[in-house]
Amino acid sequence: MITVKIALRSLARRKSRMILIALLVAFGTFLLVYGTTLTRSAGIASRSSIIHNFTGDFIVYAAKSREIPSPFAFNTPLPVVPNLDRLKAFLLAQPEVDTIVPYAQNYSLLSLDLKGSKVDVPFIFYAVPPAEYAKTFANVKMVEGDFLSSGPGILISQYQNDHYEKRYGVRLKVGQDVTVLGLSSGGGVNAYPTKLRGIFKPLYYENVFNYINFMDMASYSQVYNFTGVAAGSLPAALEKGLAAAQQSEDSIFALAGPAGAPIDTSKLKSESISGYTMVAVVLKDHHTSDVVRARLAAQGLEVKTSPWDEASGFFARVAAALEAFIWFATGLIFLVVAFIFMNTLIISIIERTAEIGTMRALGGEKSFIRRIFLAETLILNLAACLVGMAVGLVLVLGTRRSGLPLPDTISQYLVGGGPLPMVLSPWPFVTALVVVAAVSFIATILPIRLATRITPLAAMNDR
Amino acid sequence: MRAVELVDVRKYYMLGDTRVDALRGVSLAIEKGEFVAIAGPSGSGKSTILNMIGCIDNPSDGKVLIDGTEVEHLNDTELTRYRRVKIGFIFQSFNLIPVLNVFENIEFPLLLRRNLSRKEREKTVMRFVEEVQLSDRLKNKPNELSGGQRQRVAIARALVTNPLIILADEPTANLDSATGHKIIELMKSINEVQKTTLIFSTHDAHIMEHARRVVNLHDGLFTSDEPRG
Repeated sequence: MITVKIALRSLARRKSRMILIALLVAFGTFLLVYGTTLTRSAGIASRSSIIHNFTGDFIVYAAKSREIPSPFAFNTPLPVVPNLDRLKAFLLAQPEVDTIVPYAQNYSLLSLDLKGSKVDVPFIFYAVPPAEYAKTFANVKMVEGDFLSSGPGILISQYQNDHYEKRYGVRLKVGQDVTVLGLSSGGGVNAYPTKLRGIFKPLYYENVFNYINFMDMASYSQVYNFTGVAAGSLPAALEKGLAAAQQSEDSIFALAGPAGAPIDTSKLKSESISGYTMVAVVLKDHHTSDVVRARLAAQGLEVKTSPWDEASGFFARVAAALEAFIWFATGLIFLVVAFIFMNTLIISIIERTAEIGTMRALGGEKSFIRRIFLAETLILNLAACLVGMAVGLVLVLGTRRSGLPLPDTISQYLVGGGPLPMVLSPWPFVTALVVVAAVSFIATILPIRLATRITPLAAMNDR
Repeated sequence: MRAVELVDVRKYYMLGDTRVDALRGVSLAIEKGEFVAIAGPSGSGKSTILNMIGCIDNPSDGKVLIDGTEVEHLNDTELTRYRRVKIGFIFQSFNLIPVLNVFENIEFPLLLRRNLSRKEREKTVMRFVEEVQLSDRLKNKPNELSGGQRQRVAIARALVTNPLIILADEPTANLDSATGHKIIELMKSINEVQKTTLIFSTHDAHIMEHARRVVNLHDGLFTSDEPRG
């Protein structure tokens, strides 16, 4: 008790310096508690938003694809997912799988009437099975029309429609006839007349999904003539050659050799090739993702998988990047705190040389001196830590129900839009406590070493 | 029974390349209950001798025996425990713990010993508080006391554990002469009543007159050892 008494009163004697340190520790603790709660909440919200609206727990795509597909990125059109029927059957037979949704990404042109003349406007879209997609991913709000339930056709985003008007002078209306111009890889154009069935607003990640529209899968197959030969019915050498050609353009010439032997067309089986380039798989429990993916990999269905965070690329990493930044900032604050605290303690020890020497002369062991300085450090830093935690807790509780309102740009990148629902967890508090205790301990190593080196002679020499 | 025995004690320090001989072979025996002044001018080695007796410094050569124990063989922890039990200190600059009040300063050595209950500690402290006439200053901090009052707190603190020896390094140096005399008288009466061995250093001729034995020191050597009435 005497050590605590001396520690408390010594802190009180050096009030101004100690208050400065306490404020820094409290601020660092607050930043740690509130920052990690915020980033954890953002991580949870972002994960939930991405998994439940775009990617599922993982995405299945063609093994021959050179790129990892992402609902958030439109690069070159991806290869079609092979063995789709077998793949669907396998996935739906897995007890861990809740639902699956196949879809494709592509881009084309819409040919529109503009006061008697034609204008072609760009059209980026997901091709989806409407009912399945809408049931699984509630990621749009219909402004007008319906989500392709009234018949095949296309949907455009409200933003896109505004953009067409601004840029091209045309504004689409629900029910209007439009012609989709599908661009084939050979340079040909396939014109497919259809209707605009609805106008929607994306509910998440507007900064990406304002530019993305929808088309039903049946129309998509018509636009791109998805009919084909079932994989496995082609001669093995030809299949091998085709696969090699996907990897290297030079390999295409190999098809002219032995692989290019005459094909017996009577043995070929037709298959309904849908054109789907990805299949999003939603699990009942996301912890089973690796197990299901491993099981699927063993099926030999010529597909690969990509977990949700890989498939959503940059967006899944925003929360992690923010967390890294908060840790960096907090680390910097605690480094400064440790440095200032260490210096303050050293100055205090120098000022208290006679006092320490006296205690040693009167029979205080080194461990007694050590306990005094440890007590001073812990009392100050833990008190400041509790204040920081309390402020953090109040703010977290204050924003838990309504969610933390964020500027739209930040919100879009962090959680896909809207206020951030704060998730209260004990971990940020435990982490803060551990960090403060560790920093306190580290900051006192050198000062305590100096203090315990003071001999009783120092008391005698204090004249 | 000898409280202290110094046998041909030498102490030198290195100041850069120069060797400074603080003690050049001194021998001294002090019996239990003696009231001894170690006198001499500044730099004569008085404090060095007190440091040796107080187990806070080691001789470069020679032997120091406290209550029959050769202390230079004890390690730091053993020396600390030895000091706690055998020795009480009164410092020239009082050296009270600034954050503790009068009562707590006097109680401090008892807390380090951890062998008394709270009630016993309180009783013991109060006995010495009355002895040094500071009953009305119990709650005061050292900075609220006069020099004489501070030194009386230091005396009570040195006495409270009933040590074998009390060492006082120039205990009156920071006091006016009237207060200095009162302090020495107080120490003398404690010596008479409690039979505590009291050794103090001084360079003040008036103060050393109170001692029953005066050992004179000059340039690290004893020049005289005179018993007084």
